[in-house]
This record gives sequence, structure tokens and C-alpha cells, in this order.
Amino acid sequence: MSTHVLAAEDLSGFGTDPWWLIVIKVLFIFVFLVLSVLLTMWAERRILGRMQLRLGPNRHGPFGLLQGLADGLKLGVKEDLVPKNVDKWVYILAPAAASAPAFISFAIMPFGPQVSIFGHQTHLQLTDLPVAVLLVLAMASMGVYGFVLAGWASGSPFALLGGLRSSAQVISYEIAMALTFVAVFLYAGTLSTSGIVDAQERLWFAVVLIPSFLIYMVTMVGETNRIPFDLPEGEGELVGGYHTEYSSMKFAMFFLAEYVNMSTVCGLSVTLFLGGWRAPAPISTIWPDANTGWWPMLWFIAKFAMVMFIFIWLRAAMPRVRYDQLMKLGWKVLIPVSIVWIIVVATMRALRNAEATTTTWLVVVGAGLAAALVALYLWDRAAEKRREAKETAKEQEFATLKAKPTAGGFPVPPLRAAHYGSAVRDALEAPRPERGTSAKEVTGA
Amino acid sequence: MDISERTVGVGAGAAQTGDAVSAKDMATEDMVLNIGPQHPSTHGVLRLRLRLDGEQIVSAEPIVGYMHRGAEKLFEVRDYRQIVVLANRHDWLSAFANELGVVLAVERMLGMEVPERATWARTLLAELNRVLNHLMFLGSYPLEMGAITPIFYAFTEREYLQAVMEEVSGGRMHYMFNRVGGLKEELPAGWTGRARATVAEVRHGMVRVEEIIHGNEIFRARTRGVGVLTREQILQYGVSGPIARASGVDFDLRRDEPYLAYGELGDVLRVVTRTEGDCHARFSCLLDQVAVSLNLADACLDRLEALPPGPINQRLPKVLKAPEGHVYQWTENPLGLNGYFLVSRGEKTPWRMKLRSASFNNVQVLKELLPGNLVADMIAILGSMFFVVGDIDK
Amino acid sequence: MTVLAEGSYASPTGQEIVFVLLGVVTLAAAVLVVTTRRLVHAALWLVVAFGALAGCYLVMSAELVAWVQVLIYVGAVVVLLLFGIMLTRAPIGPSTDLDGANRPAAVVVAVALAGVLVTVIVDGFRTAYVPSARASSGAGSAETIGAALFRDWVLPFEALSVLLLAALIGAIVLSRREIGPAETDARRGGGEGEG
Repeated sequence: MSTHVLAAEDLSGFGTDPWWLIVIKVLFIFVFLVLSVLLTMWAERRILGRMQLRLGPNRHGPFGLLQGLADGLKLGVKEDLVPKNVDKWVYILAPAAASAPAFISFAIMPFGPQVSIFGHQTHLQLTDLPVAVLLVLAMASMGVYGFVLAGWASGSPFALLGGLRSSAQVISYEIAMALTFVAVFLYAGTLSTSGIVDAQERLWFAVVLIPSFLIYMVTMVGETNRIPFDLPEGEGELVGGYHTEYSSMKFAMFFLAEYVNMSTVCGLSVTLFLGGWRAPAPISTIWPDANTGWWPMLWFIAKFAMVMFIFIWLRAAMPRVRYDQLMKLGWKVLIPVSIVWIIVVATMRALRNAEATTTTWLVVVGAGLAAALVALYLWDRAAEKRREAKETAKEQEFATLKAKPTAGGFPVPPLRAAHYGSAVRDALEAPRPERGTSAKEVTGA
Repeated sequence: MDISERTVGVGAGAAQTGDAVSAKDMATEDMVLNIGPQHPSTHGVLRLRLRLDGEQIVSAEPIVGYMHRGAEKLFEVRDYRQIVVLANRHDWLSAFANELGVVLAVERMLGMEVPERATWARTLLAELNRVLNHLMFLGSYPLEMGAITPIFYAFTEREYLQAVMEEVSGGRMHYMFNRVGGLKEELPAGWTGRARATVAEVRHGMVRVEEIIHGNEIFRARTRGVGVLTREQILQYGVSGPIARASGVDFDLRRDEPYLAYGELGDVLRVVTRTEGDCHARFSCLLDQVAVSLNLADACLDRLEALPPGPINQRLPKVLKAPEGHVYQWTENPLGLNGYFLVSRGEKTPWRMKLRSASFNNVQVLKELLPGNLVADMIAILGSMFFVVGDIDK
Repeated sequence: MTVLAEGSYASPTGQEIVFVLLGVVTLAAAVLVVTTRRLVHAALWLVVAFGALAGCYLVMSAELVAWVQVLIYVGAVVVLLLFGIMLTRAPIGPSTDLDGANRPAAVVVAVALAGVLVTVIVDGFRTAYVPSARASSGAGSAETIGAALFRDWVLPFEALSVLLLAALIGAIVLSRREIGPAETDARRGGGEGEG
């Protein structure tokens, strides 16, 4: 392995904090997440309101900012129903299993560079690991237990189906999501979040690895069960999904888990693709100090809020996909495309590591393009043939039916029965006009 | 459709609905799922009993009658003025059109001539009522697909129209504006101008409704080729209205047996049809019909303003008796054919008044339409049948 | 393998105590997996066992292995097991028919297997003392493990991949609909055409 490509993994700045600093950071992360949940809920409802020509909550506190708090309190004082046939232990465990891992993921989220807190030089990040992104993935997969157990323990078919659906969905989309990370790892040469942010100092990975970024944007919506992938909450089919039988604080925990998960994927997208806490290009070029001190936290939160806005925007604009369409997209589109893209990225990295000559580059790129063209041509030919076959079959069917309307064996009733109004009676002998959306002449009674 | 799904077993939920798993083949165990009468995917209290093989529907049976209010029997003990009150309630989204059928039937029995202004005003209000009705479904159907915004757009437009209807009739839902022989009251001064402005406003707003949902990829993927009704099924089940026209059954009473002033509106009245017969075609039909209705409303307004002043109703005797005989009066209601078969023995109440409501027939075809589809498609199909439960159960 | 002389089992460090405790948790949870009468609880005890095992890896500074253990075993394998159970039968409450006639044989096999493994490890290391890897330059990092896997152990790795591929193909073959009698397909097609 050539060492000059890989960013030197320097995590020596982590794990040296005194205990009081760790407590402060943990508290900060907790407060940040809870506040972001409350503010996201408020922002979501206000923005949705704007988009839907209405006001949204505006009564509690200035601009209705305390609406989320009021809703939380309301949930807290509601009766905590436990249905008769539930598995008590699992039923109580499930909400905790859903929300606890969601909080843990944020431990490795870098909010900023090294700063001085009470004379202590420390990173604005609780901790970092050589495999930090794996931790996020592991925690996301732990969160699945919340859904699947909640669905099962409720003892209701709707909840069970909802739980199975959401967990199948989360697991499927997690695979595609992890594959998008692989390209990032290949470029950054590290799995640690602070290392990945450093690797984007010159150019965001969202630009370099744009297919990965786009796939990540889709998977992050699928991962968090949000519209247009909010199948588990597909009301018409499954009532409320896995949390149908939950009420009061337990329901609030699921709600919290959903929003914290949203925060996690947003934070991750900022860290892995959008340059982390670094200021966006025009700001950092005209203001060199933008990336020092406490300012980076502002950039992080600004980017975070923008990604969150996309979630809300999607919710206003999109209907829900069907379950099999969702799975088809996940398994047949996102995963294969990610894999191909990883191969492309890996080839490029390998060529650069081997310090390939221009000729090699040209040959490899040319061969790749040629293969793609050939594949495209073959695919187009096959599609053309299929289309032609379909057309001929259709024409044949029309021909047979024209010759003998009862050819299909179906009893065809008189299509223009007399009792369907006097006006059509005259038309019985006349040739049938071309149908469609075109206007029809009206003769009157 | 190239959908293939398989059932691995029956699951804990299904274990409660049937007997134990048959040892031979677990995959064939059917699960009975009741959708409704209280379920988020039904509008009101329609109940569907589905037998499922995995996620596929094997058979479906609409069970109606949870909201039966005996309207037909109640008609028999009401005089003709009171019947109008009852009749506008069975399909609460097309109250004006329901009233219209009753008064038209009685007028035909009496051989009564209605003032021309009343005829044009009725036509106008019936079309506005149609727009109101369609807007409701144009909003609620996407909502069932998970798109929450269109319903707010649709209801914004509805609100403008409601204001116009409220100004003229005093009601927002049950207008009670028809009377035998005309309309209840003269139109308010300046109302036609306001109505015209509203029609323009709604026409403008419809662009918004159409743009957010009609071309949406996900919406298309969920509705195209789903729940295809054939011409034959439609004719056999007596399906009517926009649902029938979406399958190419080019039949519209407004054109084919004109009542009110529709006979003179031939150049404006475009009968919207589609040939695909799927959920998307039904939705498109509704969308286009709104445009046509708005054009009709404008044409009616033009005529109303051009007509010389005159009465808008007839003076009626204290006791209104229809002569002995019978008549069948059908109208093109927003949801389909709505007919009243009125049998009178010369008394002040009808001897029998049979109601043929659109939704009742439209819903029956679900039995043929649903089997073979997935549960997830049921939502799309059910929503696209555009029914009102009161109209089914009467 | 660096075997250092200093340090011994006589005075355990905090890390070692945590390691032993995690081992006990793993063992207890594993026993509960096979003794509990509730099917879904058994799967959950399996989660605890795998989780504690991941903890063991963490104590030994094998971070990559630990998180992969959580990601794959806890996050995917047991969830799939739960799927299987819940889609076939997963009654709430105890089941009576969980104990098969093979129970004694299974106990014998399990004890024998454990005996072999323990003997091998005890025989291999005896009283050798291996300190925590954190001090000796990240032996559990992704780089080290990747290098070991794709240089020294590449043949077993590829052999395992082939095994997985075989399992994958087997699953597809087992679940193919077309292999069975044609009548099921006919029924499906009929529903669409007429309906």
C-alpha cells in the first residue's frame, strides 16, 4: 500500500479529555439532539404550512416555537395503554431499543476543529474511532430491533406487518447506504469522521463522488422511513405501522427515534459529503478565519439544516411509493449502481496509486467507455425488439377481434344499447368515431 | 404487471384468524382481512372483506349498509318540499345535483314550465357543485397515496367556491336551493360578477393542483395500469360517471339526454373520456372534467347576464300534489348517474320513490376489480372509485 | 505474536476484569438461548450473546472486528432469524414443543465442541501473557486486518466467499416458484385476466 495517498490517521487528539469535558460534550450532544428534534418538528410544520397555503402552529411561544414542547408534554400525560396480549418485557424494551442507538451515533459527529475550552485544547467531537462510520452503521442496524420487536410484541397483525416492513426496508437501504460510503472511504483513505472531513479540505465529496452522494440522499430517506418511503406508516394499509399499539411516552420514544435518526443521517451527509464543518467555498476564500475557532459549528449547523429542509420539502411534494417499488428501487437500482460506481472509483484510485502514464489512463477510460457503449447498444437493440414484438401482438389481437368480436370467448354485450339515450340511436349504424379525449359533437335529444 | 411476491408463512397475526397451518403447504393459507367499517383507508363506513394470499387479494366483497338511513322509505312520508331536504343528503358532496333530480321529476309529473333564468341558474350551480365534488376527490385521492399537499390546494379552491355557493344559498354543504318550479330566491345583486371572478380564480388554482401531482413519477407508477376496468365490466355493473368514461364508455347524460340548459351548451360541453381505464385515467378524467365544468359555468354566467330580468321560480299552491302516474328522472351527477323513480297516486306524498345512486353501482364492481391485486394497490383502486358512503347506503 | 514477560494473571487489570465479565455474560446468554421457552426471547438472548462478544473484541482493541460483529451478527443475522420466526410462527408466550428428541445428543456435541476449543486454546497459550493491543500500535485497525485478510489469509477468504455464493444460489433455487407444479401460476394468471 502506498502511503502517500492515505491521509495519515492521526487520532491522538482524541481520548485525552478530562472527565468534566467529556460530561460537557455528552450533555451538549444530548441537548443538541433534543433541541434539533423540537426545532425540526416546528420547522417541518411551519414550512409544510407555508407550502400548503396555511399557517402551521403559531400559538405556543413566539412563532409557535414551543409547539413541539407542548406536544411532548401532551404525550407525556396521556394514558399509557398496554394491550392485554402483549409480551410485556419486549413491549417495553422496544421503544428504548429504537431510540437509544439513535443517540449514540452522534458521538462521532465532528462539529468543528480543535478549540480551547477552559484552557483545554480539544476537538469539537465527543470521540473518534479508526472505524467511526462503521459505528454509525452498526447503531442504525441496532435501531431496527426497535421496529421489529415493537411490531411483534404488540400482538396485532397490522403492527407485525408494519414492523417487518420497516425493518426490511431499513436493512435493504442500509446496504445501499454502506456501499455509498465505500467510495468515500476509498477517496479519504480512512474510516474516521475527522479524517474524512480533513480529506475534503479542498473539494467536497459531494462534487467528486456525485453518484455516491445522490444515492446516499435516496437511501437516507429510505433509512429513516420518511415520505416517499414511509411505507410503515402507510395509513391506508397498515394503520400506524409498528407503533399502532403504542401510546404516551412509549410512542413519544418512537417519535423521538425517528427524528433523531433523521438528525443522524443529516449529520452524516454533512460530514461525509458536504465538507463537514468547513465553510463553503466563497466564504472561506474571502475570510480565511472562517474555519477556525467556534465558527465551524455555525457552518455545520447551517448545512445540517439545509439537508433537513430537503426532508421536509420531499414530504410536501411526494406521494408514497408502493412496497414492491421501494424494494425494487433499493435492490435493483441503488445497490447495482453503487457497486459499479465503486469499481470505477477503485480503478481510478488504483491507477493513480500505480502512477499510471497518460497512455494507460486513456486505454482504461477508453475501454470502459467502449464497453458501456456496446452494452447500451445491445440493450437498446433488445428493447427495440421487445417493443416491436409487443406491437405486432397487439395488432394481431385487434385484427382477430375486428373479424370476430367474440373471439376472446367473452360475451360481449351490445355496446350501444338503445336505452342509453335517444341521441346515440342514430349513431348505431354510423362508423364509430375515434375515441379519446377529443370533443364529441352533440346533437341534442 | 410483473409483480411477483411470495408468502413464506402466515405469521402470528394470521394465526388468530384461522385454524392451524396446514401441514402440506403453508403458502396457500388465506388470511381474512377486514378493511373497515372503521379503518383509515375507507372513507366513512364502507367495509371490505378481503381474502388474502400473502399480499395478494384472492377475493373481495364490499359489505354495504352500515349507514343505511332508509331514505326511500322516508321519502314516502314527506311532501315534495320536504323530500328535497332528505334527497340532498345521500351524496353529501353533490347536494345540489341530488336536489335537482327530485325537483325535475316533480316538475315533469306536473308538466310545469320553469322560468328560463331558473334553468340557467340551476345549470350554473350544478356545474359549480360538480367542481366542488371533484375537488374533494382530487385532494383526497393523492392524500391516500401519501401526498399531503394536494388536498390543501384543492380545499383552498373549494373554499372560494363555497363562499360563492354560500352567498347564493346560505348553505355550504346542503344548499336546499332548489324548489319545485325554480330556485328558492333571486340571485343576490352582483353575485354573477363575483362568481365569474371565482371561476377564474379556481381555473388558475387548478394548474397548481395538476402540477403537483398529475405528472409525479411516483403517482404515475402507483396508478398506471392499476385497477383496469374494461368496457364490459362497466356495462355489466352499471358503472357510470367519470369512472365509466375513464374506460372509454362515452356516455354523459348532459350530452346524450340533455336536461336543464345543457342542450344549448353543446359547443362548450366536452365529454371527457380516457381509454386506459386505470386509476390514473380516472384521476385524469376528474381533473379534465373540472376544466370543462368551469367553462360551462362561464357560459352559464354569460347567458344569465344576458337574460332579461324575470322571475326565478313559480308560485306554488299551499299543498303540492303530483298527479297520478310515474316518471323516471335521471341526471348526470358528479359521481355518475343519479335517478329518481317517482310513483305518485295523486297525493301530496309520493307512493314510492326509488333512488338509483351512482356510488352504489360503482362500488359493486370492486368485487371484480380487486382480486389479483396487492393490498397496497387496493388503496389506489379504492380511492379511485370516487364514492361517497352515504350514496352507497342511502 | 509478542509475548511479554511482565504482567501476569495474578493481579488482573481493569480491562481483564471487564473481559471476564463480558465472557460470563456471553456464556449465560448463550445458555439462555437454548433453555428459554419463548422463541423470540431466545433470539433476543442471542443478540445479548453476540453483543457481549463484540464487547470482548472491543476490550482487546479489535475495533473493526467488534463493530463488524455488531453490524453483521446483531444487525443482520439475528434480524433475519427474527424475520423467519415471525413470518412462520412466533407466538407471544411460552411454547411447549421447543424441546426435540435430539436434546441429549445436542448437549453432547456442544460440550465436546467446547472441550476441543478450550483445550486447543489452553494448550496453545498456557501461561503466556499478551497485553492489550492498544499499546502495540493498533493491531485491530482496519488497515492491519485488511492487509492480513487479503495477503496472508486470502485463500480461506475466497473459499468462504464461494461457500456463501453456494448458499445464495441454493436460496434462490429453493424459493423459485416456477419449479413447482404449474397450477399455482395458472390461478394467479386467471385472477388477473378475469378480474
